[in-house]
Amino acid sequence: MRASQMNRALDFVRDALVEASILWWRFVDWLALVEWRQLGIIWLLSLIGLGILNTPEPALWFIFISFGVKVLAGGKRKAEVEARQAGVKANVANLEKQLAQAQMAALQAQVEPHFLFNTLALIGQLIETDPPEAARVHAHLIDYLRATLPQLRARGGGTLGKQVEMARAYLAIMQARMKERLAVNCIVPVFLESAPFPPMMLQSLIENAIKHGLEPKIAGGTITVRAQVIDATLQVDVCDDGIGINLHAPDGVGLANIRERLQLLYGGAAELVIEAPVAGGCFASIRLPYSMMETSA
Amino acid sequence: MIRALIADDEAPMRDQLRARLQAVWPALEIVAEAANGSDAVALAQQHAPDIVFLDIRMPGMSGIEAARHLYSRCHIVFVTAYDQYALDAFEQGAMDYLLKPVSVERLERTCERLKSRLARPPQDIGAQLAQLAQAMQQAVPVKPNHLRWIQAQVGGNLRMVSTREVLFFQSDEKYTRVQTATAELLIRKTLKELGDELDPDEFWRIHRSTLVRVDAIAEVTKDMRGRHMLHLRGYKGELEISRNHTHLFQQM
Repeated sequence: MRASQMNRALDFVRDALVEASILWWRFVDWLALVEWRQLGIIWLLSLIGLGILNTPEPALWFIFISFGVKVLAGGKRKAEVEARQAGVKANVANLEKQLAQAQMAALQAQVEPHFLFNTLALIGQLIETDPPEAARVHAHLIDYLRATLPQLRARGGGTLGKQVEMARAYLAIMQARMKERLAVNCIVPVFLESAPFPPMMLQSLIENAIKHGLEPKIAGGTITVRAQVIDATLQVDVCDDGIGINLHAPDGVGLANIRERLQLLYGGAAELVIEAPVAGGCFASIRLPYSMMETSA
Repeated sequence: MIRALIADDEAPMRDQLRARLQAVWPALEIVAEAANGSDAVALAQQHAPDIVFLDIRMPGMSGIEAARHLYSRCHIVFVTAYDQYALDAFEQGAMDYLLKPVSVERLERTCERLKSRLARPPQDIGAQLAQLAQAMQQAVPVKPNHLRWIQAQVGGNLRMVSTREVLFFQSDEKYTRVQTATAELLIRKTLKELGDELDPDEFWRIHRSTLVRVDAIAEVTKDMRGRHMLHLRGYKGELEISRNHTHLFQQM
């Protein structure tokens, strides 16, 4: 009984000391940064205030201590505080720079010459045999390029709706090329189209699914794109029933770039999850914090 | 009658080549069409065509691989929309190739060349094909023998973790702990197995029970007991380096 009381008292004293030291250092920080002129006015006011109460002594002590601290430690403390603030600012600037670089890398690496030349060859053939289909593929290609090429990228591309639109254009082209070898299943509720979503992530996952999963598979297969909100998380999945992940092939630049950008944009709050479904193929999922109140940026 | 086979995974492109060939060389009989490399080889064995038109990128088996099976028996013409490595090699090796979309003029020239060659046996392009196949492999920098993905059971799902995400592996009593920047997973694969399968340039063993990702190493410090401790970027804790692995971190 006594021991626990002792412990409680000790805890209390320790907490009080910690609190006192925090207050003291706050006071020192304030002193270090406050202007001499302002300090002078405060001294005068405290002298007058306590003088009226006929107890000027505490005011004199306050003036004496704060003068001493300001003279002795003020300069050093001020430099420290400023350095810390500059450090935080530099960190933020650095993060922004890294993010901008990662965004650029993602955007520049995108349009593959192989994809472009094959699509143009297909359009050339369709002009002769099926002009309406040629016009459709041509329009999809323009949509895709507009969203992909950094020089042409329209502003406000950072919503899920925009990203899905671009993915649909790309998948429509691939369907025209792969014909019955590619089936597409896209489940994105309308209310999620205005949700903010970083550019070129969904596209990257879809291109991976086609290039590494379905194109190499002789029979082809189905790609499913699904967006949903689970608890407070926006989850965007790309699932294919292709040949699956080769355990000995390194993950591409695309996945590494998504991970890097998620880290820079959301810290630990977002993640890229890759799974191998029991039925085969590959399941990739981007999970971001989602709030209902969010207005589209 | 001269007989030909067309192989391309995209049906519209097969249609295009067939239509163009019929216009340019009406006497040529298209005996079969294939949608992938292995079908092309099987159909060529069945129909014994004189000429095979092969797209380079096809599922299953590439056009280059298919050609390696077929070049001794028939004349090969490669067809591609874009392949930087292949085009250089075709030029140097005097191989026949067509660019998509196939133009009539170009096809006429190729067909003339083929007609003059048909009297003779096909060129021996085996060495060039082997070289090309190798060059195209190297275009994708892969060390195929090393493990690049870790499989971990998470809930009912099989999670795939890229080795690039892994900071370190540490053996526990029954399991191996996989630490990434965001998660800690348990796998059944032993540290010994991982050590054998992972790329030794990607992960170093620093202790009997620890493998660390080289890229993630931040610094090595000595603690009060004189042990060398390893700090990783993106991980708060520290890992002990056992005495017989400290040589990895000796200054050059």
